[in-house]
Amino acid sequence: MDALLSNRRQFLKLLGSAAVVGATAPEVLAKAKATQITILHTNDVHSRLDPFPFDGGRNAGKGGVARRLTLIQQIRKEKPHVLLFDAGDIFQGTPYFNLYLGEPEILAMNRLGYDAGTIGNHDFDGGIDNMRTQFAKADFPFLIANYDFRNTVMDGRTKPYQVFVRGGVRIGVFGLGIEPKGLIPTDAYRETKYLDPIEIGNDMARRLRQDEKCSYVICLSHLGFKYNDATVSDNVLAAKTRHIDLIIGGHTHTFLNAPVSVNNLDGKPTLINQVGFAGIHLGQLDLTFERGKATLNDGKPVAVHG
Amino acid sequence: MTSKQWLPVWLVLIGLAGCKPSYHLGQQSATRLTVDSVTAQTDPGMAAFLQPYRQKLDQTMNEVLTRSTGRIEKGQPDAPLNDLLTDALLKQATQRYGKPIDCSHLNLGGIRTNLPAGNITIGSIYEVMPFDNQLVVMTLKGDMLQQFLNHFASSNALVIGGLRTKIKDGKVQSVQFTNGRTLQPNETYTVAMSDYIADGGENVGYIKGAIRRENLNYLIRDAFIDYFRQQGKTGTPLTPVSDGRVTVE
Repeated sequence: MDALLSNRRQFLKLLGSAAVVGATAPEVLAKAKATQITILHTNDVHSRLDPFPFDGGRNAGKGGVARRLTLIQQIRKEKPHVLLFDAGDIFQGTPYFNLYLGEPEILAMNRLGYDAGTIGNHDFDGGIDNMRTQFAKADFPFLIANYDFRNTVMDGRTKPYQVFVRGGVRIGVFGLGIEPKGLIPTDAYRETKYLDPIEIGNDMARRLRQDEKCSYVICLSHLGFKYNDATVSDNVLAAKTRHIDLIIGGHTHTFLNAPVSVNNLDGKPTLINQVGFAGIHLGQLDLTFERGKATLNDGKPVAVHG
Repeated sequence: MTSKQWLPVWLVLIGLAGCKPSYHLGQQSATRLTVDSVTAQTDPGMAAFLQPYRQKLDQTMNEVLTRSTGRIEKGQPDAPLNDLLTDALLKQATQRYGKPIDCSHLNLGGIRTNLPAGNITIGSIYEVMPFDNQLVVMTLKGDMLQQFLNHFASSNALVIGGLRTKIKDGKVQSVQFTNGRTLQPNETYTVAMSDYIADGGENVGYIKGAIRRENLNYLIRDAFIDYFRQQGKTGTPLTPVSDGRVTVE
């Protein structure tokens, strides 16, 4: 426990004032009745059920679902409302996947209490029939809005989005996947249709904010953090959309020390976070919501100090 | 006061709630937690759940194939693991093909991790090459091979066996094959590679215009396992070295 706290403190020191983001003046905060919601997230766990072996490698002894469960349970004891998400590439990377085709990964995620996940390109590695078989064992939904699975066995097995209500606060979550062409063998994704993530992302976020009245909108993305060319990434998505508060990213195995803030089409900040790969890290965002509408800084960009 | 008298008050409250979002974000802060023995103990329930899966896995994966005097790592433009794996591929492919093959290619992104110092097990090979990619022999005209080599050279990701080259301005220069050949636009060359690349992966769609494609029906991972098992029988451990076959100018 002490170690956990010191670990956190160290991290807070590390990010300095870079990631503490506030929309409202402290005096207003103190008066309002606040609801705290904690978002936990992983990405690109790649079948890393056991910690990395002690083989002299950089990540020796790190990760593993049995330790992740203890950590998550500690946080659930401390925090009133916890949501746990994964941003894809659950499968492939250790022999567990070759031998068991993803079953222990999904069953472990059930035990960890995941609330939702999205689909990564490697989740197709056992073929789309296997994806259906293994995902059917999950007791959490797979959210993906830009894959049209209608002509495949995955038809009806995913949802574009889901609204989670915790402590009266509505959190809208949707998923976006990467373009399969050239990345996934065609025989694995078959007739899965890839739809434009910017267009779909905008549509989803607007629907969640306006129709579903969500106070916070999260995108689980497997698009990748950033590319040197014009390829759509989380950075591009953030800049070209409205209403997304947080992108939980994956695919590029990017180790961010703290979330990155990108201004969206309205000049408001969208946070992007990604925590490397293999379950070495667990990302945590603590959100405080207040009753009523924001007043002081309403409509203005939320400041990211740094 | 009766309940009826309260009604207007309730209506006003409902009205207020209806026209304003009931919550807004006040503040948010982020933390990145490391999952290791310092931050968290192993959960016994989860460990027990994994145990039967691990047991069967270990029986298969713990076979020691060979040993290495040091950790064998991949890198750019060249590194010990790049050389070792492309040499392994070339040797096994040639054996299976029954005819000489000019060079071998691996996708840098497909080499998923490094090989450990000490025992190299079947499990180590699965971690390096978890994908079920098949070994394919492509017959390419020289100009297409040049385009192919340049494609990977341009992103400094050329992982190749059976030839030496220098990369200058993202292009391969003075390609010299180990078998003595040089790269000529109108001659033909055989290249051992993954079906993933032969199918046009990593944006090499033009490779479908190859003269010939032959599937060896041999998983790349199995080729590696066979190679390392054979190597282990020599009794000499591997030494992580790179021969500098790819350099950047």
